Amino acid sequence: MKIQSEKDLEVIARKNRLGIYHPETIKVNVGMASCGIAAGARDAYETAKANYNGAGGVQICQSGCIGFCEMEPLVEIFQDGKPRVLYKNLSQKKIIDAIDDYREGITQKKWILGQIGDPRSILEDNLENPQAKVTPYEGAPFLEDIPFYKNQVKIALRNCGYIDPDSIEEYIAKKGYLALIQALNNEKPGNIIEAIKQSGLRGRGGGGFPTGVKWATCAKHHGDRYIICNADEGDPGAYMDRSILEGDPHSVLEGMLLAGYAIGSAQGFIYVRNEYPLAVKRLVTAIKQAEEYGLLGDDIAGTDFNFHIKISTGAGAFVCGESTALMASLEGNVGRPRAKYVHTVEKGFRDGPSNLNNVETYANVPAILLKGAEWFAGMGTDHSKGTKVFSLVGKIQNTGLVEVPMGISLKEITFSIGGGVPKKKKFKAVQIGGPSGGCIPERFLDLPVDYQKLAEVGSMMGSGGMIVMDKDTCMVDVARYFMDFLKEESCGQCNPCREGIKQVLDILTDICAGKGKEGHIELLEELGSMIQKFSLCGLGTAAPNPILTTLLYFRDEYEAHIKDKKCPAGVCKALFHYEIDAAACTGCHVCARKCPQEAITGEKKKPHSLNQDLCIKCGICYDACKFDAIAIR
Amino acid sequence: MITFKLNGQTVQGEEGQYILQVAEKYGVDIPTMCHHKALEPAGMCRLCTVALFDGRRTRFVTACNYPIWEGMEVNTDTEAVHDGRKLIVELLLARCPDVPMLKELAEKYGIHEPRFKTEDDDCILCGLCVRMCEKMGNSAISLTGRGVEMTVDTPFHVQTDVCMACGACASVCPTGHITLEKINERITKREHVAAIPSEYDMGLTGRKPVYVPYAQAVPHTPAIDRDVCVHFKTGGCQVCTEFCGVDAIKHDMEDETIELNVGSIILSPGFEPFDPSKFDSYSYAKHPNVITSMEMERILSASGPTGGHLVRMSDNKEPKKIAWFQCVGSRDLNRCDNAYCSSVCCMYAIKEAVIAKEHSGDDLECTIFYMDMRTHGKEFERFYNKAKDTGVRFVRSRVHTIDPIPNSDDLSVRYVSESGELQTEKFDQIVLSIGLQINPETVALAQNLGIELTEGNFCKTETFEPVETSRKGIYVCGAFQGPKDIPQSVIDASAAAASAGAALSIARGTQTKIPEAVPETNVFGERPRIGVFVCRCGINIAGVVDVPAVRDYAATLPYVEYFSDNLYSCAQDTQETMTQIIKQKKLNRVVVAACTPKTHEPLFQETLINAGLNKYLFEMCNIRNQDSWVHKNNPDLATEKAKDLVRMSVSKVALMQPLEEAELEVNQTAMVIGGGIAGMSAAKTLAMQGYQTHIIEKGDVLGGQALKLFKTASGDDVQKKLADLTADVQSFDNIEVHLNTEIQNVDGFVGNFNTTLASGENTETLEHGVAIVATGASPYSPTEYSYGDDPRILTSLELDQKFMNQDADLKKMKSAVFIQCVGSREPDRPYCSRVCCTHSIDNALELKKINPDMNVYVLYRDIRTYGEKEYIYKEARQKGVVFVRYGLENKPRVDIKDGNLTITVMDHVLEREMEITTDLLTLATAVVPNKSDALAQFFKVPLNDDGFFVEKHAKLGPSEFSTDGVFLCGLAHYPKPIDESIVQGRAAASRAVTLLARETIHTSGTVAETVPMHCSSCKVCVSICPYSAPSIIEEGPFAGKAQINPVLCKGCGLCVASCRSGAIKLKGFDNDQIFAQIFAVNEAS
Repeated sequence: MKIQSEKDLEVIARKNRLGIYHPETIKVNVGMASCGIAAGARDAYETAKANYNGAGGVQICQSGCIGFCEMEPLVEIFQDGKPRVLYKNLSQKKIIDAIDDYREGITQKKWILGQIGDPRSILEDNLENPQAKVTPYEGAPFLEDIPFYKNQVKIALRNCGYIDPDSIEEYIAKKGYLALIQALNNEKPGNIIEAIKQSGLRGRGGGGFPTGVKWATCAKHHGDRYIICNADEGDPGAYMDRSILEGDPHSVLEGMLLAGYAIGSAQGFIYVRNEYPLAVKRLVTAIKQAEEYGLLGDDIAGTDFNFHIKISTGAGAFVCGESTALMASLEGNVGRPRAKYVHTVEKGFRDGPSNLNNVETYANVPAILLKGAEWFAGMGTDHSKGTKVFSLVGKIQNTGLVEVPMGISLKEITFSIGGGVPKKKKFKAVQIGGPSGGCIPERFLDLPVDYQKLAEVGSMMGSGGMIVMDKDTCMVDVARYFMDFLKEESCGQCNPCREGIKQVLDILTDICAGKGKEGHIELLEELGSMIQKFSLCGLGTAAPNPILTTLLYFRDEYEAHIKDKKCPAGVCKALFHYEIDAAACTGCHVCARKCPQEAITGEKKKPHSLNQDLCIKCGICYDACKFDAIAIR
Repeated sequence: MITFKLNGQTVQGEEGQYILQVAEKYGVDIPTMCHHKALEPAGMCRLCTVALFDGRRTRFVTACNYPIWEGMEVNTDTEAVHDGRKLIVELLLARCPDVPMLKELAEKYGIHEPRFKTEDDDCILCGLCVRMCEKMGNSAISLTGRGVEMTVDTPFHVQTDVCMACGACASVCPTGHITLEKINERITKREHVAAIPSEYDMGLTGRKPVYVPYAQAVPHTPAIDRDVCVHFKTGGCQVCTEFCGVDAIKHDMEDETIELNVGSIILSPGFEPFDPSKFDSYSYAKHPNVITSMEMERILSASGPTGGHLVRMSDNKEPKKIAWFQCVGSRDLNRCDNAYCSSVCCMYAIKEAVIAKEHSGDDLECTIFYMDMRTHGKEFERFYNKAKDTGVRFVRSRVHTIDPIPNSDDLSVRYVSESGELQTEKFDQIVLSIGLQINPETVALAQNLGIELTEGNFCKTETFEPVETSRKGIYVCGAFQGPKDIPQSVIDASAAAASAGAALSIARGTQTKIPEAVPETNVFGERPRIGVFVCRCGINIAGVVDVPAVRDYAATLPYVEYFSDNLYSCAQDTQETMTQIIKQKKLNRVVVAACTPKTHEPLFQETLINAGLNKYLFEMCNIRNQDSWVHKNNPDLATEKAKDLVRMSVSKVALMQPLEEAELEVNQTAMVIGGGIAGMSAAKTLAMQGYQTHIIEKGDVLGGQALKLFKTASGDDVQKKLADLTADVQSFDNIEVHLNTEIQNVDGFVGNFNTTLASGENTETLEHGVAIVATGASPYSPTEYSYGDDPRILTSLELDQKFMNQDADLKKMKSAVFIQCVGSREPDRPYCSRVCCTHSIDNALELKKINPDMNVYVLYRDIRTYGEKEYIYKEARQKGVVFVRYGLENKPRVDIKDGNLTITVMDHVLEREMEITTDLLTLATAVVPNKSDALAQFFKVPLNDDGFFVEKHAKLGPSEFSTDGVFLCGLAHYPKPIDESIVQGRAAASRAVTLLARETIHTSGTVAETVPMHCSSCKVCVSICPYSAPSIIEEGPFAGKAQINPVLCKGCGLCVASCRSGAIKLKGFDNDQIFAQIFAVNEAS
């Protein structure tokens, strides 16, 4: 069936909305994004599927990531007229029991993360809440009240976890492709660009360039124009784009279609890392479905607008996230950047005007067009509108994917949503913006999340990786770690980046090994400043951020390494040793049992001692001691 | 046009240009390492980073690839920029601490030691090679790997078929990381690939596919070698076009066939050096220290591959002991087919040995292994003697084998010494004196043209028509006619031109065009308006000197109205622009700061003439040869010097006045002094070209020494041919023969001589424009070897007379002896008389013909049957003529006892005296010049120690004198056989015609002039002038004072310097002008 009009869409939507909101049988939505699968969701899913095999009034379905990675596998179980319950840590062993338990009226409340009070997406506020008339369970909190979810506003992630990513019908049921059909039928391309401009949407890939302006410039230049989606998410610890692609691929396709219509392009490319096989698979399915419905391809929705999307898989070079390198790679060349003195919107892929946005940016577009630019612009700060998805990782209680309105403070994200540092350890810094981002110390925790503000403190929004560090993190080692990553990922073309990073890493390695010298800090600053100014592409110009911000905020740690030959955090093995604090040691013997070197000896209930000659500083004892009796000296 | 600010200065560039291009145009230096004009900029090295202010903030961008835009502000050398660049250089130095180019750069930035850990790489990953390879249409290599792993390599790090080993990558590699050796070893799969051997440097060095064959090539235009040019293989490259400032390169040009309609053809295809590779026993092809003499020439040359430093090829060490092997590929029917003597090798081998010793000092041992030392040219024997004196060792032996000494680069030689002993000697280097041969293409050409060749494949000519081929209208000159040296080739060339010109004389002047003359502007009394043009000479000057600074400096000098700089001032379009500017700006003085006036002054003077200015209102200063080329390492000082030179020139040119050049008519009559073969040939040539010619012969008959000759070596009957020539000369209406006439006095100068002829009592004055000296020579009358004591002892010419008389006694004789070098190669007369060896051998053969049983002996020192005359030497040996060598210290003795004529000679090989009783002793006597001091005086022409006239230039001006309008030929120049006399007679006429044909001549404006008021009548000027230009005024108010004939004056300045009254000035180099220049230098200090 080819969709020709809003009405055709509505037919499909109405039909499928029933399945989403009012299933007659019990519906089990297993969160089947990579994060869930890694935690065992597939096994749970398969087990449930085999067990019910379509019978017993239970249908086993899949959905995308619902965000709370710490609690994976997450499974939502619901039935028309009953509460929608989100189960946590639902492994293969527990899933059958959980389904049975749900059917029988929930006795195992400890399995439950919460119940969903309102399953509607942000686009569906004109619909009646399907749960409005359902009596909630006593004793299970509403998801909307859990700190992790409470402060989130989901626009890009609006459907993630709520629909089956392999079902275009479910996407349509959640007002999918409505923006496209409306635009094609009612709007001139210029109006769409204007709306995006008005919304204040800025590139979510890191650079933060105003999306509307980019679209307008691209539309202005002549030639075969291209719409490119950057799905080469390479920052360590960041998986926002992956989750969107895995949970709601059609939102990205629709965003690209709208960009294509607005800019006047007939060809789109999604450059996605091959390390995201599930995302690729779901995209392939999504494209096929969209084509079948006439929403992609020639004469889309009966108009004369043609748009094709091809998927190109990258080999996982970090630098290929840089626009020119990405386009070079897309062309079949080595993925190396070039100078952007002539912008890619003028001369990019195959020398044509090329509009490149990342996954999250495109996912925002249909929502903006449906709900209006003012709505979007109403969220956030002066310069940063809407919401931003972050992947919250590191030393944090609630690891997960969150989408928050711009302007929210770092403290709210890390402490309110993230739940703070585990084991009540002291928060030290949060690293934002991927390897090239900066480390923001505790004193800036009140900083609102905003493109400008982050830049002012030497970091950047980046694509949304947020790594929390506690007092056991050595900032010199952190800088060294990121430099090591960048050394591998620098394309190697330009001297400042290639040679500079190499030498920076070399110096940092020396410092961490206790070979730091007077003058090293100044040399690092000199190198950092030059690399920042003189490098060819964004990778190089941002590469020194980890060293420059750590030097700015944690200079004392560097000085301790160099002058006192000490690593205060106890990470750099050459610069500290463990000692047992006899006063604190209860002689519980846990440490001695765990020590792989058998370096700890002592009678039970008497203070133990540690043989320094045998100790390999693995830190197992330190982690194992519940009494803080292992000290770093 | 886009206008923006560059370092505060407002500059302009074209849309689409990059900062670097505009900066270059304005002479702003921005350092780069990865930029190449012909390649797309990559912005990889980042050294060219500059600060860009866009109105809001300052950014750092790379100048090589940042496109300019209106209103931007660029700063190329802020502190931040400088510091960043310095750090980049430091980083690279840490990576590649031993790369010279980086060390140099580091020094520039004051970096002594990098503060970082060093590696030992030598690749800076500038990517030039990769982009160049891509430009070649190939992409055999690329930057592989990521980050620190990045290297330049082939796919999968294996050798590739794609690489054509064109070497383009190596040519752009700034660090030496890529070399041809590496390409062979690691990159290409093809057979061993070497540099394109430089033909000029005999393959000792490589050359590029675009090349000028050698530094002095005319035209000095580079050519593209299609066979190796990458563009013709792949369609890529065309890098050269990016560098050509005048868009002169068109790769799509096709060879054209041009048909010319000509009346005469002159063949001068030359020779090829003999290739000794096939002589296995000499190991030439295998051993680097066995080289040819041509390679030695290049090694000794200052412009050669070693810059004139004498080293051997295997290890670049200075050799201590060198041997030359003569006759390699000459006088050899055993191992090659060249039976002839190559004529030039003995002389060049001696020259090389002497120069080698000059270069390496007296410690160098030079040994020449030879068969006969053939130094038969003018001044050659002296040079040979001098070489012996300076320690060059000569060993008479032909060496068969060179044995490389294992485990060393030395060579062992076994030879038989003169005394017959086998010797073994070690040498560091051996030079093979290779002969001349005609290459197969020339032979094919001759076949196409249908001309006959000799057995040695040289062009066959007749003695009396020495430059005519067997086909009418086709002439020959140079080594194609026979192996010969430079002077002989030059003489040949003039003669061939004369012969061709004579045949075409009726068409003379029918295809000439007269350029339209521009009327000269009168600048008298005008305030100087000076135009200064500073030349960049591509990068020759601009690469060192800050040309825009010099140009702007010129603007500050007094009277300078116009100033500019040109890429190439000598380019045709620049010339036209200059003409326009001179006219538009009404300039009346011009200074060009460029290269050497020696080559370019006439060109710029022509530009002045075209603009209507007197050509002497011009001054040129040489900021290239004397500045940028010599101060390469000191650009700042070079720029200052250029300013000084410009200031000096401006000071001088302001004082320059227009000078006049006298135009003189050339009297169209020629006078030939001497009616011998050379004189008659000259006269005949002139007459055939239509000029009235007078032959002045002091004797009563024409013919000279040839009257006494029987026949030539090639068998011509001299008397018959001579009679024909004489008759021919007499048949010309425009030849007047003055027999029994001598010259009493010569007045006048080139174009207008007045010669007083005396014939008995009568004198007459002959007005003529040119004179040819052909006064000949005479046979030496011997006092040695009992000459005159016995009728059986004759001179060669007397033997000829016997042949001519068909003397019956000759048939009866049983034995004949020839003694060579009678009066020649003796301390008194140290030259070789050149003709005697051939003459004696020819006569010996004649005797054998008359009586085959006669015992004929030739007692000789060296047999000098040069060229194809060698054949008769061989024939004589075959026919049983016995050759016995004697030494100067052991000359033969002649005894007449009991009616027996006995000659005793020491045989070197037997080390015994040998007695020959003979019926005939012929003394091969020397040729002695008719020494004519009077004539030398009349024409101000010099004589050498032997009494022969000294030509203008031993090599390049053999048939003319330094005195304009006077020419030389025949035996008066040096002993020579008939054919060479005839050639030189024609050559002298040919040179004379170049003057006569002009009809008028201009003297130089740069001549001396007296101020009679100041003259003290000391006559020093009159006595000192080599050209007789000053004279004393005989009448009028200034009688007794000196005057200078501007026509005779050469502007040498001798008189000016010698005049104690300061009464003489040299126009164009007046005291004021010179002092102005000198004072201008002082200003600088």
